[in-house]
Amino acid sequence: MKFQIEKDVFQDALNQVQHVVSSRTTLPILSNVLIRADELGLELSTTDLDVTITKRVAAKVASTGSTTLPARRLASIVRELPTNEIDFEVNADNAATVKSGPSFFKILGLPATEFPVIGEFGEAREFTIDQKLLRDALRKTSYAISTDETRYVLNGVNCIIGEGMLTLVATDGRRLAMVEQDLEFPAGNETGVIIPTKAVNELQRLLDVSGELKVAISDNQASFELNGSLLITKLIEGNYPNFRQVIPNQANYRVTVEREVLLAAVRRVSLLANEKTNSIKFAFEDNRLAISANSPEIGEAEEVIDVRYSGPRLVVAFNPEFVMAPLRNLDQDEVFIDLIDESSPGVIKIDEPFLYVIMPMRVAG
Amino acid sequence: MHNHVPPDPNKPTNDPQLNQLWNNISHELRGSLGDSPFDLWFSDFRLAAVSPEEIVMVAPGTMYAIWVEENFKTPLISAFTKYLGSCGRIRFEVNESASTAFAADQELEGGESGREQLARVVPRILVEKVSEEKLLERGRASGLVEIFRFENFVPGENSELAWAAARAVADQPGKTYQPLFFHSSCGLGKTHLLHAIGWESLRQRPKSKVLFVTAEQFANDYIDAIQKNALVPFRKRYREADLLLIDDVQFLGRKEGLQREFFHTFNRLADQRKQIVLASDCPASEINELEERLVSRFQWGLGVEIHRPGLETRAAILRRKRDDWRMAVSDEVIDRIVERVRGNVRALEGALIRVAMVATLSEEPFSPEKVAEVIAELCDADDSRQVGAEEIKRAVAEHYDIDVNIINGKKRTARIAEARQVAMFLVRSLTDLSLVEVASAFGKDHGTVIYAVKKMKKRCEDSAAFKSSVELIKRRLVRGGSPMESPRAKRNAPTSHPRLGYGAKPAEFDAE
Repeated sequence: MKFQIEKDVFQDALNQVQHVVSSRTTLPILSNVLIRADELGLELSTTDLDVTITKRVAAKVASTGSTTLPARRLASIVRELPTNEIDFEVNADNAATVKSGPSFFKILGLPATEFPVIGEFGEAREFTIDQKLLRDALRKTSYAISTDETRYVLNGVNCIIGEGMLTLVATDGRRLAMVEQDLEFPAGNETGVIIPTKAVNELQRLLDVSGELKVAISDNQASFELNGSLLITKLIEGNYPNFRQVIPNQANYRVTVEREVLLAAVRRVSLLANEKTNSIKFAFEDNRLAISANSPEIGEAEEVIDVRYSGPRLVVAFNPEFVMAPLRNLDQDEVFIDLIDESSPGVIKIDEPFLYVIMPMRVAG
Repeated sequence: MHNHVPPDPNKPTNDPQLNQLWNNISHELRGSLGDSPFDLWFSDFRLAAVSPEEIVMVAPGTMYAIWVEENFKTPLISAFTKYLGSCGRIRFEVNESASTAFAADQELEGGESGREQLARVVPRILVEKVSEEKLLERGRASGLVEIFRFENFVPGENSELAWAAARAVADQPGKTYQPLFFHSSCGLGKTHLLHAIGWESLRQRPKSKVLFVTAEQFANDYIDAIQKNALVPFRKRYREADLLLIDDVQFLGRKEGLQREFFHTFNRLADQRKQIVLASDCPASEINELEERLVSRFQWGLGVEIHRPGLETRAAILRRKRDDWRMAVSDEVIDRIVERVRGNVRALEGALIRVAMVATLSEEPFSPEKVAEVIAELCDADDSRQVGAEEIKRAVAEHYDIDVNIINGKKRTARIAEARQVAMFLVRSLTDLSLVEVASAFGKDHGTVIYAVKKMKKRCEDSAAFKSSVELIKRRLVRGGSPMESPRAKRNAPTSHPRLGYGAKPAEFDAE
């Protein structure tokens, strides 16, 4: 195998695929990137057996072939190469020589035949959606994914397609983020799948602000094809619990607040959040919101911001991190906080189909 | 929520006591949380079962269960503690039919009908290829020993059932027998089958997490985890296995903390329909001081005993071994060996190795007649009778004409107390059990045993009649209940039941 490739192109491609490679793996082949050269260019693939990413890039291929090389090491070498032109040659023993201007590297690889075979996907539903739409929806929900591995069905984003709607949900049992987007689907494509965290993260890295992507979903796998990349992931098996059970269906009061102002204030006050309860207090009254924290042995903090609110005085305690997470990932200027009373779940909304349920913390006194 | 002892989540509780307790708890929760959160989260919850270890609540939906567990654990625990004095683990079962909003799930079902119209696309996806090399690597990482595969297990009439159950479990873990429980005396192939299940399962499902440990290893890991304050990784390791193989579970006997930990591991795996396979040198009910709840769980699935191999099976096993080890030993010689060595497979292998070694060392061809001479020692070892506590108890009970359970019981009329003391005395003098082990075999403390032994010695010295009656029981025991016989005749006598006496024997480990 022999080819010539531009450094920038190669570096970008390696960056996109190398995150799948886990640093601690039992199978050495899984830390390698599979490189295949054909007449059209190169195909780079990495896998951890759950998620596989394949990326196509242009290259001048002198002779075709395939090999696998340590992904991380190769990426760091390519990053440091001095010229933009790289000559690549791999011999029969999977030893690759990399030449760029005055520098020369020899990297030992493993045969491509050892790389887990990329086989075929069964029966699947296939459709295309807007990249920006999916990117935004994932961004607005993925931070609420549970990291508690004992509840594995919650270790991903639940993705429901049906009734002209794409619904994405993530929850960890203390907060829940949901996006509902109107979307036209061909009939018969209704489905509900749980996309695991790692695939969600990789997908977010690949998604762009424009263009479309092709999605295919089978019983236990999903593939996403976009911008010359193909991401294939196993899906989490199991039933996602009925999340609508925890979404309050009515609210008594609505607070309107500027997102960035609230985020900055919470961030500051949270510096003195009570370490034991990890909560800060939100006191709403008459167009003002006083956010305060009190740490008995350290000190206290308070910040008052202007809001739109006209109900009775309400004091609710929340985990500051849980308040900040959605604020960071939304881009609207204004957000609404819907409240029932001081001890019922609050709901953060925007003027788009998004909601975020957050449980209040119980405060003594 | 599979495989749990009652309660059935769909059946309303009719137990007035539970209802009363739930009313009290509800009142308490209303007080600590306020009315509206209580109504929002708890109004459809029920109390299904309460025991010191575990409180089972039925939630109206999985999501309710998750949110209540995440957000209200502390007030729940304090409410239960207030009314019960203590609070075990709180477990939630889900009764989905009680919940109303089902929009999301119904959408899914609606999609089923549209399946025929599926656009058929053929993206590429990963199919895993397992080479023998990778299989070995994974197997070793799972604690499996290479040589113990199904391919080199010789099933005979003694182990047919165990072999079939093992195959079934390896083919469909978590779906057939849960748990699968092997028991037999040592060296009959329990460990071999455990490993074989692990290998086969890994071969079929290379990505599954298979874990083979002995109960002793489990204990060591547990102690280690406690010392290093690293229970989380310990639990992760065990509770996330897809197939957990545990050898020598009798080791759990008498270890309360360990049993508690194992109980939770067991439940977690059973809940998730992960396969558990256990091996022990006695049936679950006979493991010394094993908590009732563990015994009942061990008995849920299938318990299979592996018996001692018959003559033909022994010969088949040895022929296979000879071929595996490429030994120049004739079939005739093997027949001679299996006639003489009736014990476990390990003893058979030992005899074969010895014969093969002598054969290679001697100049002239090895005659079948020499076999007896070469393995004489092994035969003797096999013939010496080992009596166990249970066997002694039975013999004493028979002698005094009472039920063996009475000896284990608490009655202290003169005759029964005497029988019990005689039994303790005999167990102490005929077995090599420690005082504590003897005591626990009788469910008494060691002081009682010391007293009984002393008293019996004294009575033997004082009364010749008493002494001779004790001697009579002893003789019966040592002779295995049959009249005196020549050593040769003894060898062909039916083997004593391998299980006798295991109840109190110190744990014997299969050394693999």
